[in-house]
Amino acid sequence: MGRKKKKASKPWCWYCNREFDDEKILIQHQKAKHFKCHICHKKLYTGPGLSIHCMQVHKEAIDKVPNSLPNRSNIEIEIYGMEGIPPEDMKEHEKQKSGGGKGDEDSDDDEPAAKKKATPALLGPGPSQVTQGILPTPMGPVPPGMYPGHMQMQMMPPFMQAPRMMMPGMRPLFPAASMPPTSTSKPTFPAYSMYSGSNTTTTYYSNATISAPPTTTTPSSSSEHKENGEVKPPAANACPLVTATGAGSKIIHPPEDVSLEEIRARSAKYRAKPKADAPAAQPQPAPAMITPSTSQAEVAAHMNAAVAAARQQQAAAALRRGVLNSMGGMGSMGGMGSMGAMGGMVGMLPPQGMVPRVPVPHVPVSVPQMPPVVPMLPVMPQFNLVRQLQPGMLLPGGMMPMGAMFPSGMVMQPRYR
Amino acid sequence: MTVTRVAESRTEFKLKSLPDDAISSVKFAPKSNQFLLVSSWDCSVRLYDVTSNTERHKYNHELPVLDVCFRDAVHTYSGGLDQTLKMYDLNASMETTLGEHKGAIRCVEFASEVNAVLTGSWDGTVKMWDSRVPNCVGTYNQGNERVYTMSIVGEKFVVGTSGRKIFVWDVRNMGHVNQRRESSLKYQTRCIRVFPNKQGYVLSSIEGRVAVEYLDSNPEVQKKKYAFKCHRIKDGGLEKIYPVNAISFHSVYNTFATGGSDGYVNIWDGFNKKRLCQFHRYNTAVSSLSFSHDGSALAIACSQLDETQIEDPKPEDTIYIRYVTDQETKPK
Repeated sequence: MGRKKKKASKPWCWYCNREFDDEKILIQHQKAKHFKCHICHKKLYTGPGLSIHCMQVHKEAIDKVPNSLPNRSNIEIEIYGMEGIPPEDMKEHEKQKSGGGKGDEDSDDDEPAAKKKATPALLGPGPSQVTQGILPTPMGPVPPGMYPGHMQMQMMPPFMQAPRMMMPGMRPLFPAASMPPTSTSKPTFPAYSMYSGSNTTTTYYSNATISAPPTTTTPSSSSEHKENGEVKPPAANACPLVTATGAGSKIIHPPEDVSLEEIRARSAKYRAKPKADAPAAQPQPAPAMITPSTSQAEVAAHMNAAVAAARQQQAAAALRRGVLNSMGGMGSMGGMGSMGAMGGMVGMLPPQGMVPRVPVPHVPVSVPQMPPVVPMLPVMPQFNLVRQLQPGMLLPGGMMPMGAMFPSGMVMQPRYR
Repeated sequence: MTVTRVAESRTEFKLKSLPDDAISSVKFAPKSNQFLLVSSWDCSVRLYDVTSNTERHKYNHELPVLDVCFRDAVHTYSGGLDQTLKMYDLNASMETTLGEHKGAIRCVEFASEVNAVLTGSWDGTVKMWDSRVPNCVGTYNQGNERVYTMSIVGEKFVVGTSGRKIFVWDVRNMGHVNQRRESSLKYQTRCIRVFPNKQGYVLSSIEGRVAVEYLDSNPEVQKKKYAFKCHRIKDGGLEKIYPVNAISFHSVYNTFATGGSDGYVNIWDGFNKKRLCQFHRYNTAVSSLSFSHDGSALAIACSQLDETQIEDPKPEDTIYIRYVTDQETKPK
């Protein structure tokens, strides 16, 4: 019991009721836990200091001391170590100290002991627990009204213990209310129970007072989160989607599971000239360029471009029939031609630039001639996503799909919401 | 190391004469923190002198450029939607086309170990090129998945593709892939960067999450891997989760910066699992980051990448140069 006296004079943290052996450690604790800026992690010296720092440096208002107990979150009070603690709180703490210390042998044990006791209690109140719970030691010293939950619990018959014991593990909404039960399991002082509960509480309250997320999490906790649940993980092949993680969160990304760059590259602006792709896929980009907002003139330009593309493509197809697998060369050639076309489109006066380049002569421009292209489509694996969206529409190539693609353009719009 | 800076702020300023469209990539020169290479969706590649805040060189591709890299102080490589790999000689202001892919070139990296250029494309392959003449040394299939990101340090070469696949190569022996992995993150891979010490890599996904992984397949080493959430903003009851677009390592301290579509840049100490700092929020998504070789400056490219409905008016595309302090980048 010699330790008892020592303890009464132990420094403690006003913000979280935790006790320390040394005031130096207490100050370190306060700087790290309660006075640290969540933005730049600078450690300040006092609550008001932190608030001023955040206001001046980051232009952010802080209304609560991070990681503090709910009734001790006042940022205005200037506390440094044991200095500045309001006298009434000081007195109260002393009272709890002296009162609780009496006749409790393992009062020095902190959290782990409490937990050890708590666990068996969950299985059912064994005799030892019962006696433990009955020990009504701290009744007197507990300030009436301060911990109403505590009081009430104490009056309960011993067999009620088990349910009480479960509470700490449940992370209730109001940690203050939940803490007394911890202390009943082991009739120590509320201060201690608070301390043991502070582990759960801190994380809790850090969310309340700090806007920044915890810096790091372990793999287990990171995978635990909403993640999927009902969400299907993006299937590798089947038209993948980025599905939101849950009701409370939203991934700021288009629903399609394709990189932002690929999606952006589809835009008329960039697609225009190019064929980001080998010749077989050429007819697709042309129609896709037309967005609902396109003006008449532009549409006309597109038409021209599309016709040109169709011609090229036919030419390409014809060539291909002759020269099997000359894909690479054709690719660049077709690309060049189409580039002309698209470049024109961007400038709104497309066809002239490209027409001469296109090896038209021997290929009549007509839709029925398109089919030869069809077998070529599967050659381009990287475009399967585009194709998956409307596989049938793309087949005709040339002008046909232009109309057909309109709806798709419109459909795509809402996806960005 | 903090050079005396003109303009807006001692620590951070905006580059002048910026590209007209989104910025796809920024890279500091290998041996100086004076030059910054920038590729853009406006089809240009530009070289900036950040000390005098001027544009020094500019050349164009036919289509938007998605990535650039330096070979040395005077040679650069670039590739993009036009599928061609270009080399540019800054001294001679001369460009050479080195070759082509069958799809857009998404990534360009220089492998000093073998003096070659590596390009990753949406055609599902990586190609290796002779760094001086137009000569493709080899084509390496990446599981027919579109290449989204690549990183190389020394001989360690890591490729991230669509379908959350990761391929680990050794550039000295490209005959076979060393490791095939699936991303430990559940969502699309956005960026991968190999640790400067070559022990592992950092990977980010579109779902506000970053993983720290190790290359050594020894289970003891693998135990160290972890992932954490970041670049998320609570907005009322809704948590908005943003893609983590960019990662850049601080070559001296082995810490790294991440940039997200939320417009924030965070600096992390990956070994101690700590966030070292967070900068102020930028005007729009952070699309690319690059630390200078000595880690004294960080280039921050801000461009909206159409993550959501196109905003109106479209936020300005900007590049900031920030002179970082030890306090911001050094493990505590």
